[in-house]
Amino acid sequence: MGRLIARRLLLLIPTLLLLSVVVFLMLEVVPGDPGRVKLGPYASASQVAQVDHQLGVDRPLPVRYVHWLGGFVVLHWGTSWNQGVPVFSLTMQRLWASIQLALVALLIIIPLAVVLGVTAALRRDGVADRVITVTSLSLTVVPEFVSGVVLTVLFVVFLKIFHFPAVPPAGAGPLTRIYYLLLPAIPLMFVEMGYIARMARAGMIEALSMPYIRTATLNGLSRRRVVYGHALRNAMAPTVAVIGTQIGWLVGGLVIVEKLFVYPGIGKLIADSATYKDFPVLEATVLVVATIYMLSNLGADIIVALLNPRVRYGR
Amino acid sequence: MSDDTPFQRDYADHLLHEVIAGRMTRRQLLVRASVVGLSATLVGQVLAACGSSTSSSSSASPSSAPKAGGTLKLTMPSPTVAVDPTTMYDTGSIAIAQQVAEYLIWVNNDLSLRPVLAKSWAPNADATVWTFKLQPGVTFQDGKPFGADDVVATMNILLNPKTVSAALASFQGILSQGGVQKVDDATVAFHLDQPFADFPYFVASTNYDCLILPSTFKAGTWQSNPVGTGPFKMTKFTAKQGATFVKNPTYWQKGKPYLDGVAVSFIDETQAEALALQSGSSDAMLTTPVQGAQALFSDTNLKVLTTPSTQSRFLHMRVDTAPFTNKAVRQALAYTIDRPALVTNLFNGKAQIGNDNVFSPLYPLAPTTIPQRAQDIAKAKSLLASAGYPNGLTMNLTVEEFEEVPQYATLLQAMAKQAGINLKLNQVTVTYYYGSGKTQPWLEVPMGITDWTFRGVPSQYFLPAFTSNGVWNSSHFKNAAFDAAAKGYDTTLDEAKRRQYATTAAGILTDETPSIISYWINVNRAMKKNVNGLTSDPAEFLDLTTTYLS
Repeated sequence: MGRLIARRLLLLIPTLLLLSVVVFLMLEVVPGDPGRVKLGPYASASQVAQVDHQLGVDRPLPVRYVHWLGGFVVLHWGTSWNQGVPVFSLTMQRLWASIQLALVALLIIIPLAVVLGVTAALRRDGVADRVITVTSLSLTVVPEFVSGVVLTVLFVVFLKIFHFPAVPPAGAGPLTRIYYLLLPAIPLMFVEMGYIARMARAGMIEALSMPYIRTATLNGLSRRRVVYGHALRNAMAPTVAVIGTQIGWLVGGLVIVEKLFVYPGIGKLIADSATYKDFPVLEATVLVVATIYMLSNLGADIIVALLNPRVRYGR
Repeated sequence: MSDDTPFQRDYADHLLHEVIAGRMTRRQLLVRASVVGLSATLVGQVLAACGSSTSSSSSASPSSAPKAGGTLKLTMPSPTVAVDPTTMYDTGSIAIAQQVAEYLIWVNNDLSLRPVLAKSWAPNADATVWTFKLQPGVTFQDGKPFGADDVVATMNILLNPKTVSAALASFQGILSQGGVQKVDDATVAFHLDQPFADFPYFVASTNYDCLILPSTFKAGTWQSNPVGTGPFKMTKFTAKQGATFVKNPTYWQKGKPYLDGVAVSFIDETQAEALALQSGSSDAMLTTPVQGAQALFSDTNLKVLTTPSTQSRFLHMRVDTAPFTNKAVRQALAYTIDRPALVTNLFNGKAQIGNDNVFSPLYPLAPTTIPQRAQDIAKAKSLLASAGYPNGLTMNLTVEEFEEVPQYATLLQAMAKQAGINLKLNQVTVTYYYGSGKTQPWLEVPMGITDWTFRGVPSQYFLPAFTSNGVWNSSHFKNAAFDAAAKGYDTTLDEAKRRQYATTAAGILTDETPSIISYWINVNRAMKKNVNGLTSDPAEFLDLTTTYLS
């Protein structure tokens, strides 16, 4: 397994390199101009050209890329073209904020989805199963900006339970932070529930249909011991894998939820830097999120391997 | 004691005659008097002479006496780039900078001028030299005393092509480097390149980059070292998140501001701002467009103040490109529009109809004799037939994704169809529409809708947008008669003549219709009921000097 991990970590480098080139080229193609963003629509073309020259935008493509890459690999991530603040601290701040939100979301999603999925599998084709399946699927298709607004109006405006915007005050302790982040985590839960609960359900059903389950039952083990001691562990493998793929989205892809709840996460930073042509910030944030994505997939694979020894030894 | 110049006294007489002859209303008199810098005494005398009382017609009296203390929580869109008073252009940056720094003059909602850092001003006889006396006893927030040197230095920064300020374009042809001269520590004289009757507007808040900064100011340093003479000091600024302000203890207007501080949060989505206000986590929104915040207008826990503005959308048609070369085609499209319906549908009535010329009803010299264009499908069809399109035609309209513009285009499409005009919509982002260095679609597409923010004087529209050499002339309109009327309007101080020029210029624009201007949008500002002393502002500016919480 050590070799597996080492290989996957090495793969990170060419992947990130390729991604950085793609982002660079995409930003070239997208309309807009950093000088124009800085000066607004009423500045003259020559004034815009002056600013572009200061930012180095008028240099040839390969020169700009290599120059940026050289700085990036030694952690000289430069300064944001729009905000004038160092890219490294800005990115890390936003990343940490997004990670917190993702953790709170996972805190609700994982237990809930697993419990519901397992329950649905155990009471397969019964009332509970149908209710869980249909509800979770229906909630998945509700867009976050709809569920987010409805939840805010309900919980914040009418019931006054939660706080809006969902930004914990500076210096707040972990429990306060969780409280603030529960509201934005709920639309995320709606979206993820269907997928993860159904994976848990499918995994559980498959595990329960294995011959060794029948053997264990016939050997006299209690239902409880059979389900929670043996079947569950084998059922979780696909669920863990799926959660691993969703972590990337939960950290870096929450543009809509971040915009609606005014949460200073990295998803919104990516969207803004793309819109306003802030090249250093865009590259840094995309690469950071891509790294998180790949590491979380790797982490999920490691957990699956730990759960299932056969995977460890490559069978 | 009045220190009006002899010229100002003559001018006061002139205004008096205009009012007595019925050519000028009292309100127009007050605005004009403020522009030319007549003292309150002189204005009082004029009003008395024409039988008017001197009672103020301005804003409603507050419901309670101002109470000092408290922190106002305000939301606004995030500044798009680091705040720099000399190059800023977006609402968020402007509102931030306006708390810390001040202008020579502030433009009131009715377009009259209020002295701020300039105590009084007067033109010479042909309006080519304007002399400003500065407010005494003012210091910058770091203790440096304010004087003529600071005004001269700030103006020179704005007039310097190397500064890349958009203010440079607004001063073009009117004022250039070297034209601003210190007379003494408390007096500055502006020597203009041409006579300009409305010059004070150009050093007022309506020319929003003109915040007065100390002579020691270095470009690009403002966000980390915010300087100014204003009522609040900025103690913290976090990009894309918020800013914190505290009361300036050495502010020159004694007893003000009433608030102890302001906590600003940046929220880009109108919907999210509205939710923040409704949930109670903010006290006021900088600006409340109807789209995205409809719920606030009927919320009984809030009040939404509204003020007419000259914000608009110009639907230009390039007069040098087929099929718009024939004015009958342009007029035909204009006749398909049901303007009152647009005002109701797009703004819930919070807008005023336009007549395809830049003289919004808010301007004191807006002509009153030009017939208002109304929907007339039959006329539109006959105009098209006369232009050689009896069966209608297809037009391509570029639409920027900005506030209500896409809905406007969709409604227009339905209206134009009735006359046989098939409007094809090409929706693009704002960044694309304003373009990069080499291509600027808003100045090149045959037909497009451009958003124009508030302008204090009509010249700030017609000079760049409709004169033959205008830098933002999307319709490529070139009309010598219009150029002459525009020039006449700006360069003469004779009110009767100015009105004639205005009527001529407006008449040409409405007749030629290089741009369709269907409405002038009100600016709304929603806030909690306990926020007092804060009005809505036609330019979405933020003046918290007299705001207090009850």
